[in-house]
Amino acid sequence: MSEHAKSISFELNGSKTEMLVETHENLVELLIRMNLNGARESCGQGLCGCCTVIVDGSAVSGCLYPAAFVDGKTVTTVEHLDNNVHLSPVQEAFIEEGAFQCGFCTSGFILMTHQLLEEKPKPTDEEIRDYLAGNLCRCAAYPEIIKAVKSAANKMARA
Amino acid sequence: MTPFELAEPKTLNEAIALLDAEDPDVRPISGGTALMLMMKSGVFRPNRLVSLQRVEADYSRIQRGGDGTLRIGALASLSQIEHSGEVRQVAPVIEKTMRHLSNVRVRNVARLGGNLAHGDPHMDLPPVLSSLGAKAIVAGPSGQREIMIEELFSGYYETVLDRNELITFVDVPSQAGWSSVYFKCTTRSADDWPALGIACSLRVENGSIGDVRLMISAATEKLTRLVATEKVLRGQQASEALFERAGESAMAEAEVIDDSRGSASYKSELVRVYVKRALRQASVGATQS
Repeated sequence: MSEHAKSISFELNGSKTEMLVETHENLVELLIRMNLNGARESCGQGLCGCCTVIVDGSAVSGCLYPAAFVDGKTVTTVEHLDNNVHLSPVQEAFIEEGAFQCGFCTSGFILMTHQLLEEKPKPTDEEIRDYLAGNLCRCAAYPEIIKAVKSAANKMARA
Repeated sequence: MTPFELAEPKTLNEAIALLDAEDPDVRPISGGTALMLMMKSGVFRPNRLVSLQRVEADYSRIQRGGDGTLRIGALASLSQIEHSGEVRQVAPVIEKTMRHLSNVRVRNVARLGGNLAHGDPHMDLPPVLSSLGAKAIVAGPSGQREIMIEELFSGYYETVLDRNELITFVDVPSQAGWSSVYFKCTTRSADDWPALGIACSLRVENGSIGDVRLMISAATEKLTRLVATEKVLRGQQASEALFERAGESAMAEAEVIDDSRGSASYKSELVRVYVKRALRQASVGATQS
């Protein structure tokens, strides 16, 4: 660690966490150190959504988010969605609709879908496309992803 | 990225004191989106960043003044502005612009002050806010000053701000009687940075252009007000022929530059077409309101 390293404390997936972070470290790098590999740095420019992390209830691009900025905040990653018991309705819907091929972008899409459905429980196709425009799927599973978002919305409405 | 000192002051005044008028390697950081990109690519290697994350909450509020002025704290996130009822009421063009500004995650993190102070000519908010007649309230060691958004930029990624000055608020005046539009043209993909941005606000009085503010960005080195073209428009009967003439005038007036998003001659042609379209749509809006 360099002389500039900072001690931070935050809530990570429901657990109080204290860590020493470098000021030049980003949030994805911090999560990898915690063995959480769901958020992945891909484009490195905030365009693709593979590094999506939820900070204080808002989706952020982990690759552009200084790790030191999570001090005092709540961080949720895709690993927390199943609460170690059941998959979330969004995760179930993505599997049922086959909304991925390689799966590299999937954790980002799933977290963004959770955010979207929190804001708009019954999104239209256009709203889905708008909201997920910042997530790229290089296997181009977009039609299945849109189906999965709608299916998840229905599951959550029934629950 | 290389190691640097991260200062986390609790007040705006402390933040200003931690900045350095002489040292380009000391900079403020709010959301950090643009700075992270510059640091990751090695364009910027700071000695010290002064985080504005912990300064007083006043600077992230959005409120309406008695005279109808909309005051947006410079630390308000772009998504906070996008979803603000006050903003929608005063200037619906801002919400429309936000929908096509980067993506949800970037809007959740990026802040208004950083968006302006970065001085990037490709940003959408500088042309929109300047066409609304907005001004930045700026604080420094010797006090406050006000700068019209259109006068904030001095060159490519350059602003008139001193290194130890911070934008604290942006004031948008009442837009009663004005109609505003923003057109951005991307040439490579829908979500690419713009090759051209045109923002236009105007008032129509008895079928004539009562007043107009016309801004160009992205195709030029910095945000530029098309003053000569505004003169072509003011007081004239709103018509296709007038908008056609204004498009020609804007094409001649704008100092368009070449870059990876298009040659100067191509972008000049875009200017002609988009100025015409912006005027047409804004005048329809003005007639309907």
